[in-house]
Amino acid sequence: MIGNVPQRQRDGGLAAQLRVLHALVLREMLTRFGQSRVGYLWLVGEPVMLAVGVSSIHWVTGHGLPNGVPVFMFYGLSYAPFFMFRSIVSRNSGAINGNRSLLYHRSIHLHDLTLARTVVEFTAILPVVIGFVLGGMLFAGIFPANPGLFLLAMVLSALLGHGVGTLVAALIVIFEPLERVVHPLTYLMMPLSAAFGMVDSMPPEAQKVLLSIPLAHVNEAMRDAMWGDKIVSHYDLGFVALWVLILNFLGIAALRAVRHRISMAA
Amino acid sequence: MIEMIDIWKTFESHKGGHHTILRGVHGRIRKGDHVGILGRNGSGKSTLMRILSGVENPTRGRIRREMSISWPIGGAYGLLTQVSGASNARFISRLYGTPLQQTQDFVEEFSELGRFYYEPVNTYSSGMVSRLLMGLSFAVDFDCYLVDEALSTGDVRFAAKCRHMLEVRRENAAMILVSHNASHVRQYCDTAAILRNGALEFYEDVDEAISAYQGL
Repeated sequence: MIGNVPQRQRDGGLAAQLRVLHALVLREMLTRFGQSRVGYLWLVGEPVMLAVGVSSIHWVTGHGLPNGVPVFMFYGLSYAPFFMFRSIVSRNSGAINGNRSLLYHRSIHLHDLTLARTVVEFTAILPVVIGFVLGGMLFAGIFPANPGLFLLAMVLSALLGHGVGTLVAALIVIFEPLERVVHPLTYLMMPLSAAFGMVDSMPPEAQKVLLSIPLAHVNEAMRDAMWGDKIVSHYDLGFVALWVLILNFLGIAALRAVRHRISMAA
Repeated sequence: MIEMIDIWKTFESHKGGHHTILRGVHGRIRKGDHVGILGRNGSGKSTLMRILSGVENPTRGRIRREMSISWPIGGAYGLLTQVSGASNARFISRLYGTPLQQTQDFVEEFSELGRFYYEPVNTYSSGMVSRLLMGLSFAVDFDCYLVDEALSTGDVRFAAKCRHMLEVRRENAAMILVSHNASHVRQYCDTAAILRNGALEFYEDVDEAISAYQGL
C-alpha cells in the first residue's frame, strides 16, 4: 500500500482550471457550513428568511403595485438577487485574507479564490429564486414573461458583483482598512440598485441617476423578465455587459498587480 | 532539477527601510537528492522555503523548476481545521486530480489516526496534525518534497515510516529538509547546506556540514 501512491491526472488548461475551481467551491461550502447536512440548508435558508421577511413587510404595509402584481412575490424576487449581488461583493472582498495559506498550492491563483466564492453565492440564490417563481405558478398562476432573460440578468448581476468584489479584494491587499468599509458601502447601494423601486415610478432626476448605474439596469431587466407588460421597465443590457467587462478586467489586472505584495510571513 | 539562480529577497520594514534576508542564493537539487538546509533562527530558512515552494517570488534572481514541488510540509498550511482529516484528504485529491477514494484510503492508512480521521482536525494533538500533514503530502506523487521541521514532531516509529516512504520513492522523489536541528538532517539527508549571511554553502558530506554548522 505504502508504495502504491495515488497518481495525479496530467491534464492542462481548462480541465485543470475547472478541477481547481471544483475543489475550492466544495471547500468553501465546508468552511462556511461545517460538515453537518443542516449547514447546506443554511446556505439557502439565510436568503430565504431575508427575502420572505422583506416581502412580508411590504405586503403588510400594503404598498400597492400596478396591474395586480402581487406584492409578496414582487419584493421577494427583487430582494433575493440583490442579496446575491451584495454577498458576492462582500464575500469576494475577504477571499484573499481568508484563504492566504491556500496559495501554497501552486495551482491555485488569486482569481480562483474569488471565483469560487462567486459560484457558491450564485448557486445558493438560484433555488431561492426558483422557489419564488414556482410558488407564483402554483398559487397565483403567474408565469415569468421571459425566464431566459431572468437567468441572463442574474448571471450579469453576479458578474458585476464578481468584478467589484475582485477589485476590492485586490485593493484590500494594498490598503487593509478598506475591508471595514465594504459592508456599509454594499448596504448603501440598496437604494441605488433600484431593487426595491421601479425606475419608472421615480422623478425624472432620480431616473437619470439610477440609469447611470449598471446594477439598476440589471434589476429592471429582471422585473421585465418576470412581469413583462404589467410594468414599465428601463434598461440596456449592452451597457451592463460593458461594465461587466470593465470591472472584471480591472479586478483581474489589480490581482495580478498585487500578487507580489502578498506575503506569507505572519 | 530545481535550480536557484542568484536569489535575493528584501522585505520592507514597517519602520521604513529594508531588510535583506537572502543575498544571492545559488543551488541545484537533482532527482533523488535528499538535501538538508541548516540555519539558525532568523537566518532566512522559512523565506527560502516560501520562495522554493513558489508562494512568494524573489526580489531578484529566479528559480527554474523542472520537477513538481510539494507545498511546505510543516505548519498547518491550508489545512481546514473545522472539518475532518478525511475531508482534507478529499480536498487535496480534488485539487491535484488524484483518485478520490484511493487518496482518502492512502492518507487514512499512512497517518494512523484511527477513528480521529473522521473527527474535526481542531480536536487533534499536534503529533496527529503532523502525521496528517505528512500523509496528505505523500498522497500526491510530487517529484520533490519540501519539509519544514515537520519530521521532528512524530515519534520514532512514525519518523521511520516517513523515512521509508522517502526511500521507496527515492528513484523519483527528492527532498529538501529545512531545519535548525542537526540530528534531523543527519537522519534524513545525504548532503547538506548551511544558510548563513543570506547565502547557501553546500557540503558534499553531511557530517562535515554539521560540524561546520555547530562551529558557527
